[in-house]
Amino acid sequence: MLLSPKRQLRLFLLCASLSALVAHAQGTANSEAEPLSTSVGAWDASGQLRTQWAQPRVADAGPLAMANAVQAGTAVVATPGATAEAELRARGHGFTSVATVQHQSLQGASAQNAQVQNQSWMNEVYASHDAGAWQFSAGKKIVSWDVGYAFRPNDLVQQEERRTLVSTTSIGRPVLTAERFNADSAWSLVAVNPVNTIDALGAQEAALAARAYLRDGAVDWHAFARAGQHTGASVGAAVAWVASDAVELHASARYARQVDSKAMATGSQINGVLSTNPWQASRLQDVAQALVGGTWTHVSQFSVLAEAWWDGSALSDDQWDAWGARNAQLQRFATMGAPASAVAGNLAWQAEAFGASSSLRRSNVFVRASWVQGAWTPAVDVLYTPADQGQAVSASVVWQGDRMQVQAGVRSYGGPGTAVMVQLPTQQTAYVHANWSF
Amino acid sequence: MKFAPPWLVAAVLAAALPGGALAQTPDVATMLKAADKFRASADNLQVETQITVLNADGSQDKERRYTVFAQAKRQSLVLMQSPAEKGQKVLMLGDDFWLLMPNSQRPLRITPMQKLLGDASTGDVATLSWADDYTGTLLGEEPCEAAGSPTKICWHLSLAAARKGVTYQRIELWVGKARFEPIKADLYVLSDKLAKQATFVTDKPSAPTMVTEMVLADKVSNHKTTHVRYLSRKDRVVPETWLNPMFLVKTPNLE
Repeated sequence: MLLSPKRQLRLFLLCASLSALVAHAQGTANSEAEPLSTSVGAWDASGQLRTQWAQPRVADAGPLAMANAVQAGTAVVATPGATAEAELRARGHGFTSVATVQHQSLQGASAQNAQVQNQSWMNEVYASHDAGAWQFSAGKKIVSWDVGYAFRPNDLVQQEERRTLVSTTSIGRPVLTAERFNADSAWSLVAVNPVNTIDALGAQEAALAARAYLRDGAVDWHAFARAGQHTGASVGAAVAWVASDAVELHASARYARQVDSKAMATGSQINGVLSTNPWQASRLQDVAQALVGGTWTHVSQFSVLAEAWWDGSALSDDQWDAWGARNAQLQRFATMGAPASAVAGNLAWQAEAFGASSSLRRSNVFVRASWVQGAWTPAVDVLYTPADQGQAVSASVVWQGDRMQVQAGVRSYGGPGTAVMVQLPTQQTAYVHANWSF
Repeated sequence: MKFAPPWLVAAVLAAALPGGALAQTPDVATMLKAADKFRASADNLQVETQITVLNADGSQDKERRYTVFAQAKRQSLVLMQSPAEKGQKVLMLGDDFWLLMPNSQRPLRITPMQKLLGDASTGDVATLSWADDYTGTLLGEEPCEAAGSPTKICWHLSLAAARKGVTYQRIELWVGKARFEPIKADLYVLSDKLAKQATFVTDKPSAPTMVTEMVLADKVSNHKTTHVRYLSRKDRVVPETWLNPMFLVKTPNLE
């Protein structure tokens, strides 16, 4: 269900009105007798105010850096900026809505280039019906599946972006769902993006998805299937096993007949400076994705998460080699007198490779360690791509108070000069994030 | 992975049945079952629980509110109600645990150790069932001081963990001599270190029928005091679908 901006605004105003009522109710409530969660009639409302400052450091390698070196201003790069958001939630009478309003202020290379953006969106807005063992819902809704953390091959509906710097509420997909639950098993059938046209790609594609779940003591079993409007069938399975008091192990695998991707035309078509973008939508055939991982938690509240995965939907090693060769070729053209604007534009097109898949490389290893110490949680994680020895290293610390949470961190990309991660547009990002719940 | 605080408190279910007058020659198993009844009066309950953590100087550190559906066979569904945790849910089916975080709406299977992330032992104290989880030895009669009432003679029991997954390996428990209501407890972790001291507040000190509050003094790290208050209890059997881990994404009707 796609909502027009006007309808989104109406729904948001509804949430805002409820929040105002909530604030009034909180002001008059007897805290000894009233629950902290706020209910107005049969409506329950809550929310969060968030602010974040991000300080990116632009990479000096990679196609966008090259493009701007050839001709300044060709490619837009990340700039420092502040973001303020208000998230409002309302639930009642079978309806759920989550709305976000965002104000963003980004610095530019000069005062004239500074940007201020205001936008709002509905994270969720759906109606649900409880028919006992059967549950139905329709609207924009978050439907997250699979057992992994850094990668989820069977997240067939939401296809949520993983490893964001700060976890915030996802933006749901238009869905119609029918689910059946009993004591130890569950079945879910979801029509996602039901009104989208056949040219919608990736997570926007219209599809039917199904999940079966079975609980067997210490083991959770999942089976998945999806029929995409143009990508066709895919099947998958996942398992999560609590092996001991401290150890949980999980695995997930998926086979897809086709997946949407992007590819650079090959062979003699790609030679010299082009007038059209060589990166076009493509479809990969017979794609396999698999993940294994586990968590270990010590009684001292020190935790380690480790995962390794293969993502057959990512660009192949040969494609990345060709990409690197093309970057080098374009750089040579710049020194040979080719028109700077044309060379810079061609280099900027090369950045499209970064968005071809949720993983940059097909083989990946991820390790995260965190330690809960009262209100403080420091954490460090590393994503490593063995094919080119690229690394993304993140360090963060979170402080959780009664209602206020503050976190700060930094993420840096490294590796040898040929590593894809070193050539991403942003080499490092530092951030501070605070949120207050009401 | 940062998990919610002392949600397990949940289970706490503190309800309470009148602890009736009991046998004159106490049997340890009987005493433990009777003591449990002062906290959980029925097999199936809906309990509103509030946890207030106080700093060493008495100032409030944080307050949390939970709705707990405690069901038979050690099954509990916990809904976090405080603003900072709103939307988080925990499902406990025996020794199996799942967590739902509202941002991603995805039930996560977690280990017994992960369930302790946050205010670890608070939750475990709340969920432990002495009769089911511990074997006890009667050490004899001792004077003990109940919360808000003068010193009286109590039974002193020493409890040893009988199953894996409990936070406290040893508990020294004092119960009332006539009704076996819990009065105070010393809680020891695996290293046999005293972690917390618990005192139990009852509805009627002279003739208690239920525990209304548990006060936990931290003896290890931050010297904070945690007050676990049972705001309301009512008998409630929830549909079996609510105890399905995948149902965590749904919003149960609290009425």
